[in-house]
Amino acid sequence: MIQAPSLLRRVLVVVGGGALLLAMAVDALAVVGRHTGIPLLGSIEIVQAAVLVSGGMALLMATLAGVHARVHLLVDRAPPLLRDVLARLGLACGAVLYLGLLVASLWIAADLWNGFEESELLRLPYRPLRVFTAAAAFALLLAFLVQALGRRPR
Amino acid sequence: MIATPLTGLLGVGVLLALLLLGMPIGIALGLVGVGGLALTLGLEPGLLKGGIVLFETLSRYELGTLPLFMLMAHLCFAAEASRDFFDAAARFLGHRRGGLAIASVAGCAGFGTINGSSLATTATIGLVALPEMRNRGYADSLATGCVAAGGTLGQMIPPSGSLIVFGIIAEQSIGSLFTAAIVPGLTQMLSYFLVIAVLVRLRPQLAPPSPRAPWSQRLAALKRIADLGILILLVIGGISIGWFTPPEAASVGAVGALLICARRRRLNRRTLVNALEETLKTSGLIYLVVIGALTFSVFISVTGLTEAIGAQIAALGAGPVTTMMLIAAFLLVVGSVLDGLALMLLTTPILLPIVAQLGLSPIWFGIFLVRAMEIGFVHPPLGMNLYVIQGVAKDVPLGRIFRGVLPFLAADLVHLMLLIVFPVIALGLPRWLSP
Repeated sequence: MIQAPSLLRRVLVVVGGGALLLAMAVDALAVVGRHTGIPLLGSIEIVQAAVLVSGGMALLMATLAGVHARVHLLVDRAPPLLRDVLARLGLACGAVLYLGLLVASLWIAADLWNGFEESELLRLPYRPLRVFTAAAAFALLLAFLVQALGRRPR
Repeated sequence: MIATPLTGLLGVGVLLALLLLGMPIGIALGLVGVGGLALTLGLEPGLLKGGIVLFETLSRYELGTLPLFMLMAHLCFAAEASRDFFDAAARFLGHRRGGLAIASVAGCAGFGTINGSSLATTATIGLVALPEMRNRGYADSLATGCVAAGGTLGQMIPPSGSLIVFGIIAEQSIGSLFTAAIVPGLTQMLSYFLVIAVLVRLRPQLAPPSPRAPWSQRLAALKRIADLGILILLVIGGISIGWFTPPEAASVGAVGALLICARRRRLNRRTLVNALEETLKTSGLIYLVVIGALTFSVFISVTGLTEAIGAQIAALGAGPVTTMMLIAAFLLVVGSVLDGLALMLLTTPILLPIVAQLGLSPIWFGIFLVRAMEIGFVHPPLGMNLYVIQGVAKDVPLGRIFRGVLPFLAADLVHLMLLIVFPVIALGLPRWLSP
C-alpha cells in the first residue's frame, strides 16, 4: 500500500473534517432554532453541500489508506504472488470504475452547465458542487491507479 | 438490449466471483452495476446513471447521519466511555455468579448506543472486560463467548451503522429503523443474560462470584456515565418522539460528545484531528460501498430479476413465515462466505421487493436483515467477532472461543425465529409512538 504523504492527509482531514464540523454545527443550530422559534432557513442545503465535500474527501482518504472492505475468505488462503496480483487487479478495476464515473460526471456537468442549477431557498449554485464531484472522481481514479501500480498494494 | 432476469442472475454470479476474488466490495458492486447497465441499456445511459448515483449519493442530506454518528462514537471513545459503561455494570452485577459476563454484555449494549459497529464494540469491550473476567477466574469459553456475542449488539442498538446504510439503500426512514431496533436490541441483550444465567446455573465453576462493590463505588461509577446516559437518551429518545430527524440527532450527538470530551478534559487538537481522521476513513469505506450498491440495485431492477424470483416464490404457495424462514436460512448460508456489509448490499435489492410482495414491512425487513448479519459475525468460517476476540486474548484457541459462543448462537437463532413469527417485536414501538 502506498501511504498518502502527511501533508496530503492533513489537507484531506482539514477540508473533509472542516466540512463535517460545518454540517454538524449548522444542523445542531437548526434544531435549536426550530425549538426556540428562530428557524434556520436553508440549513439542509448547507448541510448537503458540506456533506458532499466531506464525502469526497472521505472516499479519497479511505482509498489512500487502503481500508476498503473486501471479502477475505479465499484471498487470505492464496499464495502471496496470487494475492498481490488479485489486489492490484481489484485496484485497477477501481481506476476503471472511477474513470467511467469521471466521464459521466463531466458529461452531466457539461449538459447542465447552462441550466444554472441552484438550491431552492439559499440559491446555492450547483456548478461548483458538480465540478467538485468530477474532481473527486478524478482524484479517486488517480489514487486507485497509483495504488495498483505501486510497489506493495494490499 | 438484453435486460432479462437471466442477465441479472449472471450479474449476481459475476459479483459473487469478484467478491470472492478479493475485489473491494464497493468496486465490485459498482463495476457490475455500471457494466450491467451499459450492457442492458447501452453505454451512454449506463455511464450517466452511474454519474447521477455518484452525485446524488454524495449530496444526500441523510448521508451526513453516518459520519456524524461515527464522530460522536470516536469522541466518546476518546472520553473513555467504553471503560465507564463496563465499570458501572460490573460494580452493580459483578458480585453475582456470572455477573461480570452479564456486565460485559450490558457494557456492549451501552457502548452500542454510541457506536454502530459490531467489530468496534467487540474490540473495545473485549479489551476492558476480558482481562477482568479472566483475573476473577471466569472460564475462557464463557468470557470470550459472551463478549463475542455481546459485540453484535453494537450493530443492532441504535445508532446502528448497518441500519443507516440499509435506510439509504432501501430508501426507508432511518428514524423508523432506529425506533424499530430498540425492542429487538433489548430482547437480544436479555436473551444473552438468560444464556449466561442458565450456563452458570448448570456449571457454577464457569464463573465464580466476585466481592460485592460498596454502594459508594457503585454510585461513583453511575455518576461517571451520567453525562453519556443523558446524551444517549437525548439522541435516541429525540429521534423516537420526533424532536429531530436522524441527521439532526447525529449532529446533536456529535456536539454533545464534543462537550463531554471537553468536560472530561480530553478535548484537544490531537483528539479532534484523530477523531475526524478515523471518521473520514471509515465513512469513505462505507460511501464507496453505498455508491456501488445503489448502482448495482438499479441494474438489478432493470433486469427484472426480483420480479422473476418473486413469481417463483409465489408459485410455491408458501406463506410469509415459511418464505422468511427460507430466506433466513439462505442468508445464514451466504453469510458464511460473505461478510455482513456485502451480504446486505448484495441481497437488499433482490430481497426487498420480494418482501414487499409478501406484504411485509420494509422496516421490519431491515431489522431482520441486520439480525441475520449479526449472526454471521459469530459463526465460522467468517465470524469476524471471533477473530477480534482472539486478537485481544491471543492465548485462547479459536476453537474454545467458538465453543463459548455456541450457546449464544443458539439464542440468536431462536431470537431470529421469534422476530419472523412475531414481527411486532420490531414494529410495535414505531407503531405505538407514531402519531
